[in-house]
Amino acid sequence: MGLTDFFKRTAQALAPEQELFDEEFQRKLDYLAVISRRLFAGRLRAERRTKKTGSGIEFADHREYSAGDDLRYLDWKVFGRSERMLLKLFEEEEDLSIYVLLDCSESMAFGTPSKFDHGRKLAAALAYVGLANLDRVALVAISTKVDKTLPTTRGKGRIFKIFDFLRSVRTGGTTALADAARMFTAQQKRRGIAIVITDLYDPEGFERGINAIRYRKFEPIVVHLIDPREADPGARGDVTLVDVETGESREITLTDGMVRAYREAHLSWRKEIDDFCTSRRVPYVAADVTEPFEDQVLRLFRRLAVVE
Amino acid sequence: MEFFGLSLAQLLPLFGAAGASIVVLYILKLRRRQVPVPFARLWQRVLVERPTSALFQHLKRILSLLLQLIILALLVFALADPRFKGISRQGRNLVVLMDGSASMQGTDVPTGRAGVARESVRRMIREMGSADRMLLAQMDGEITALSPLTDDVAALESALREYAPRDTGLDFSRAMRFSLDALRGLERTEVIIVGDGGYGEARDSAGLVRIPEGTTLRHVAIGRTGRNVGISAFSARRYPLDKTRYEVLVELQNFGTRREEIELSLYADDAPLEVTRMALEPGRSQQRVLRDQSGANQTLEARIRLADQSRDDLPADDRAYATLPARHRSRVLIAGPANLYVQAALLLDEYIESEECTLAEAPARLRAGHFDLVILDGPTVALPEGTPALYLHPEGADSPLVADTTGPSQGLMARPTFDRIESRHPLMRFMSDLEDTNVGVATRYRLAEGDRAVASSAQGPLVVVGERRGGRFVAVTFDLRASDLPLRVSWPVLVINTVDWIHGEDPAYLSSFKTGESWRIPVAVGSRRVEIESPDGRRSSAPVIEGRAVFRGMRAGFYRVHSGDDVQLVAGNIADMSESQLAPRPFAQLNGTPATSPVAGRVGVRRELWLYLLGGAIAIALIEWLTYHRRVTV
Repeated sequence: MGLTDFFKRTAQALAPEQELFDEEFQRKLDYLAVISRRLFAGRLRAERRTKKTGSGIEFADHREYSAGDDLRYLDWKVFGRSERMLLKLFEEEEDLSIYVLLDCSESMAFGTPSKFDHGRKLAAALAYVGLANLDRVALVAISTKVDKTLPTTRGKGRIFKIFDFLRSVRTGGTTALADAARMFTAQQKRRGIAIVITDLYDPEGFERGINAIRYRKFEPIVVHLIDPREADPGARGDVTLVDVETGESREITLTDGMVRAYREAHLSWRKEIDDFCTSRRVPYVAADVTEPFEDQVLRLFRRLAVVE
Repeated sequence: MEFFGLSLAQLLPLFGAAGASIVVLYILKLRRRQVPVPFARLWQRVLVERPTSALFQHLKRILSLLLQLIILALLVFALADPRFKGISRQGRNLVVLMDGSASMQGTDVPTGRAGVARESVRRMIREMGSADRMLLAQMDGEITALSPLTDDVAALESALREYAPRDTGLDFSRAMRFSLDALRGLERTEVIIVGDGGYGEARDSAGLVRIPEGTTLRHVAIGRTGRNVGISAFSARRYPLDKTRYEVLVELQNFGTRREEIELSLYADDAPLEVTRMALEPGRSQQRVLRDQSGANQTLEARIRLADQSRDDLPADDRAYATLPARHRSRVLIAGPANLYVQAALLLDEYIESEECTLAEAPARLRAGHFDLVILDGPTVALPEGTPALYLHPEGADSPLVADTTGPSQGLMARPTFDRIESRHPLMRFMSDLEDTNVGVATRYRLAEGDRAVASSAQGPLVVVGERRGGRFVAVTFDLRASDLPLRVSWPVLVINTVDWIHGEDPAYLSSFKTGESWRIPVAVGSRRVEIESPDGRRSSAPVIEGRAVFRGMRAGFYRVHSGDDVQLVAGNIADMSESQLAPRPFAQLNGTPATSPVAGRVGVRRELWLYLLGGAIAIALIEWLTYHRRVTV
C-alpha cells in the first residue's frame, strides 16, 4: 500500500465520523426535542419528569412561550427589555436520570451503513431529547464490560460533549450483556431509565443482560438494531461462515433452502426477544438500520406513551 | 473409423496429462469462500435442523469430475479428426483451374467474365459431395494455387475471393502440368477448366500434356461475344543523334467482326501529345509511326477508344505504355590540339559538355574535375586510374595499344576496309555507312587480353574496345585525317555511341516489357536487391542478377524500380494478341481427352465428426455450468 493509498483510506475512515452528526442531523434533533417537549406538558407531569416550570427553585433555562403555558412563569423583565415572551424554566429537586447504553461489540460494525453508526445516531437523539427537557443524561459504551462512560450531564449545551463521546467510541470485542450490565449498575448509584441500544447478538443470551438491569431497579428499554440484510449472506455454494466477533468458523454448503431456513430462524429469534420483553414489561423497539433514525425515536416515544 | 488428425500416440499422453490435471484439481481441497456473519450461533440452529448429507455431496462431486473427464475425452477424440471408414475414398478430388489471363477481364457478359467464372466455381463448391475435395488455382502467365486440396467449403469460398485476372497471357501447359501433379496418386480425379477457351496447345519441353487414364477433364466456357479493338504493339526510341527527339510505333488491331472507327490518343508524361482517328476493318491491323516527336521526358502512353464513345469488350488492351531512356549530362575533355571534327561531333548532343586543354594539362584537369570521357587525338599521356578514353590513332609510350611491327608491312595496313563490323555491339549501332568508309592507312595494333575489335578489316582491327587501369577505352586505329570518316554520318554516331557506352546507356533500350515474362531491368551498379512498385501500388522486392533486376510483371502500366536513391521507370504491356481475341473459342478435347461439363457431387452427411464431438463437449459443459449454478453438483 502506498502513502497516497494510506491517506486516502484514512480520509475515508474519518469522513463518516465527521458527517455522523452534521447540521442536518442537528436540525432533526431540534425537531424531535420540540415535539417531545410540547407533549411533556400534558402528560406524566409530576410523575417522573423532573423538568416543570415553576415547580423548582433553581433557574435553569429560558424557552419561547407557546400557547397554554402558565403566564406566571413568563420572564417579564426580559419582556420589558426586548418584548420577547420567554418562559423561565426551573429545576425540580428530584429529576430523572437517563442512561443510554450503546453496544460497541464487533458485530455492531457489520454491514454498510453499520448498526453502530445507526446506534450512535439514536443514542445522540435520545440524549438530546433528554437534555432538552432538563433530564440528567449519561452515555455508556458496553461490550463485555463497560468500555467507556460519559458521566451524567444536563443542559442542551452539553450535546456537543455527547457528540464527541460518541465519535470517540469504537467497536471491538465480543458481546456479554450480563457482565456489562452488572458493571454498569454497580457504577451508577442513581436509578433511572437504561436505554440499551444493541443488536442483542450475545452468545450467552440477551435475557441475562436485560434481567441484570431490571434486578438492580433500573428501568430497561431495549432498542434492538436490526439489519435485514443479515438474513441473507448473499453467497451460495461451498463457503466458510466466520463469526465476526468470535472468529468461530463453520464450513457449509449454502443453498437457497438453507438461506430460507436461516431467515425463518432469524424471525423466530426476534419473536423470542419480543416475547421476552413483553412478558417482563420491558419496552422493546426494533430499529431497522435501513430506516430513518428519527422515525425510530418517535416510535420509541410512542412506545413509552410519551408521544401520540 | 479412420483418423486424419493427431495419432493415437499423440492423443494418449495428451488425454493422460490433461485428465490427471483435472483429477488432481478435484482431489485438492476446495478453498472455500469466507463469508463473515455477525452471529454464527443463529446459523447453528439451522445446521442442527438440517443434517449434512456428506455422502450425497461426495457423489455429486464425483459426478462433476466425471462430466469434466467426458468433456476432455470428447475434445481429445475430436483432435484425432475421426471419419467413417471408406467415405474419404468415395469422394472426388477436383482441381479447378480458373483462367486468369487478360481476356478474362472482358465485359461482354454481365458482372464480367471474371464475375461469371467466380460464380460458376462458387456453384461448384456448393455442389461438392460430402466426400469431395477441391483445389482452386488461377492460371495466367504463371500458376497460382489459391487453396489447398480441401473439403472445407468456407476455406474454398474464401480462396475464391483471391481470384483476379491479370494482364498476362496464358501458360496453359504449365497449368495442366500443375493440376496433374496435384492429383498424382489420388483416385477419382477431375480437372475442371473454367475459362474462355483458346488456351493453345498443351505442349512444353517434355512434350504433349496428356490426361492420364482415370482423370476426367471438364470445361466451363465463359464469354459470349468479341467486339474488341486493341493496341497490339507500342514502342518508342530516341534518335541516336538527337536524343531530345524520338519516334513512336503503335499498332492497332480490330479483333471483332465489324468495321470500327477508332480514336487514338498519345500522352507524353501524362500530357496529351497527339490524337488521331482511323478506321479498321474486321481482323485487320494498322501501324502508325509518329516520327520526330518531342516533349516527352520519360513516359509515353497510348489510349484508344471507339469513336462513337462506346466501349469495346476488353478495356485491358485499350492502353499501352512505354518509357524513354533517361538522359544524363556528360562532360568530355578534348586533350591535345584543336580538333574541329571532334568538337563538331560533340555539339550534336546537347547533353554533352566539352572542354579543351593541352595534352600536358590533361592529367591535372582530369584529377581536378569529374569528366566522363577524355578524347586524345594522336599523342597520348598517362591518364589517372579509371579514366575512360577515346583514342584516335594513339601514339607514344602511354598508348593503350602497341603497334605490331612484325611482318613485311611494318605494322601498317594500307587501304583497309571495314570488312567485319559487330553491329550488335553498342558502339557499332546505327553505323549505316561505316562499311563504305575509305581509310588511307591504319596502324596494326596488337590486342591485349580482353581487348575486342568491334570493327576490323582483313588486315587487322580498325576500332578496338577494352579496359585499361580500371577505365574503358575505345581506340580508332587510323588517323582520321587519312580517311573520309569525319565526312560520314557514322563518325558523330561513333562519338556519341562511345559516350553512351562509357555511360552504360544501352542503345538497345527496351521501351516496354511483356507482362507474364521475366523482366531483366538494368539497375545501378552495386545494387543487390531492388524494390518494385507495381501500377496498382503494391511493393515487392526483386533480386539483382548480373546488374539487372529480375522480376516478373503481371500488370500493364508503369513500374517504379527503386534502387537506393535511384528510381527508374519501366513499362509493361500485355502484348499478347491471343488475349485480345475475345470471341469464345471451343474447347472440346485436350490431346485426345474429351472435355465434358462438370457434374454435382454426391450429397451426404458431412463427415467431420469432430464438429459433433465439439458440439457434444460444449453441450456437456453447458449442463455442468447450469447444474453448478443451480447448486446441483456443488
